[in-house]
Amino acid sequence: MIHADDGILSQEQRLMRDSCRSFVDDVVTPFIRSNWQREWDMSPGERLPGAILEGAEAIGIRTLGVPEEFGGIDLERETEVRTFALIAEEIARGDSGLADKLVQNWKVSIVIRQFAAKHLQEKWFPRLLEDPKFLLAHCLTEPRGASDRWLPYNVPEASMHTRAVPDGDHWVINGRKQFISNGFDASLYVVYANTDPSVGMLQGTSSFLVPRETPGLTITKCNETMGCRFMNNGELVFEDCRIPADHLLVKSTALASAGQYFRAGKIIQAAKNLGVGVACFERTADYVQNYVQGGRILIKHQAVALRLADMATRIEAVRSLVERASKAVDEAHPDADILCNMAKVYASEEIMKVATHALELHGGNGAMLEFGIEKLFRDAAIFLHMDATVDVSRMKIIKNMFPATAGKYAGPET
Amino acid sequence: MKILVAVKRVADPNVKVRALADGSGVDLANIKMTMNPFDEIAVEEAVRLKEVGRANEIVVVSIGPEKSAETLRTALAMGADRGLLVRTDAVVEPLAVAKILKAVAEAERPDIIITGKQAIDDDANQTGQMLSALLGWGQGTFASKLVVGDKAIEVTREVDGGLQTVGLPLPALVTADLRLNEPRYASLPNIMKAKKKPIDERTPADYGVAVEPRLTVVRVHEPATRKAGIKVGSVGELVERLRMEAGVLR
Repeated sequence: MIHADDGILSQEQRLMRDSCRSFVDDVVTPFIRSNWQREWDMSPGERLPGAILEGAEAIGIRTLGVPEEFGGIDLERETEVRTFALIAEEIARGDSGLADKLVQNWKVSIVIRQFAAKHLQEKWFPRLLEDPKFLLAHCLTEPRGASDRWLPYNVPEASMHTRAVPDGDHWVINGRKQFISNGFDASLYVVYANTDPSVGMLQGTSSFLVPRETPGLTITKCNETMGCRFMNNGELVFEDCRIPADHLLVKSTALASAGQYFRAGKIIQAAKNLGVGVACFERTADYVQNYVQGGRILIKHQAVALRLADMATRIEAVRSLVERASKAVDEAHPDADILCNMAKVYASEEIMKVATHALELHGGNGAMLEFGIEKLFRDAAIFLHMDATVDVSRMKIIKNMFPATAGKYAGPET
Repeated sequence: MKILVAVKRVADPNVKVRALADGSGVDLANIKMTMNPFDEIAVEEAVRLKEVGRANEIVVVSIGPEKSAETLRTALAMGADRGLLVRTDAVVEPLAVAKILKAVAEAERPDIIITGKQAIDDDANQTGQMLSALLGWGQGTFASKLVVGDKAIEVTREVDGGLQTVGLPLPALVTADLRLNEPRYASLPNIMKAKKKPIDERTPADYGVAVEPRLTVVRVHEPATRKAGIKVGSVGELVERLRMEAGVLR
């Protein structure tokens, strides 16, 4: 594709991207192309072969976000989110589920490094670094109402159902979480729960660090999804789950304080989309320059060429917005919230269109599982909903732009 | 033991390059550049020798424009200890490269020099041999296996018709062939760590080497494009054409 961005990246960012790209080209893409049945293996633990994760481990892309003092790498905080975006795009270009699996570790590491007590960081970060199968998960969404919590209704009745109550030197958590990325196979969870039912969720939600082995925590199922199937999305139940008091990360204002997580998350989400879009474009560009229809290669048919141009243009437009938004997040600009939601919405919708073109330009082959184009289409489709639906993201944009009007609770409907 | 590895920045082998319209060379504007793949193998071999304790320092050198520092940085991220950029924007021919490397070797005094058997841009396959002759060292070219002892090395070479193993006293020069090893990807942590490793900068003049070309490039052009095939009507016609036009049947 176009490489006009090379000049604005640091040497390290370019080298990291290139290393990741080589790994994807040599290892991930050949595996995905020749093992298309694998994502339909109904044993979630068996789906992704160890060799792929070991390869990811060898280039060090499972544990970004871990601070240097605990054995991680210093990606240079002032451009960290931009680097996350670059790497996430490259991994997703190979497989978006693999990208989901890995980036969740980066995102949750941000929360842990920001809010966990030092002795807990000293305990958990080395374990994360040492065990190639160690995954992190972020448990926010609940069976009833996830999105409406983000609408301007910051009132007690919209609060989380999962409750945490203090009991001596412990907290006791009861409730359920659903649609949790890495939920099925994570070793350590960051869990959000209501700790004050008398106020809205922004004032009454706390976050906790919950190890998988904690009695009272049950992983009930792996959700079988339409796309990103190499990431195992799970559901969790908490029944009198007792957490030591020091495992409380943020008291009361957990949602408001996790902005760094949410903003980086939106950028990474958009960047994964970008990776899927680039894969769509590369596969399609190759196909239409080789497949002959009506006596000439497809690209010489103008209707095909126009669509290909449309795909490339949408991808570059998404890339521009992701770059701008990631810069805003890195610089903690006041408009960062708005921009990263815009990037998320725009990326998911535009790349869906890119994937649709890819499907159409491949004709019948586009629909064939062994061709791998329908997989990109499914992966693009699931991104519409991941990390908030596009409509909720749009609401957040307007709420942030017009806090005095759209951001205010309008009172119960009459 | 100290190892000197020479690396060259070349056009990415996966990129399709084009000849300049005036036939003076290859158009490298906006082309993705990378480390010569055979040099990557040379770096990998040095890093493995360090990992098993046979070597304790790896110095990596490149001759070329400012951007060659990026190629050195990749080698540092793979595990080399420090870099040396001999900076020049000129096209440096193999003999001049060998002369510069000789001067570098005299300053660094390595026990082994490893480099790629050839660079994939001009495919000259001369630098290693010339360097060994200039230094008066033994050479093990086209290496597919390297065994390092305290005072000597054994190099298994890929030669026409099979493998040849030569024993060389140290110091010695080795050029890497494809099957010597499979180079690693620079990991993200090592890329960040490489940022702190030093890269010295010199010029060919610092070593008293003139890089003015001795060869004249007459013309660079692309290979003739393959002509479209034809469909023949019958086996008889196929045989006839193979005999008369292609000349493969008599």
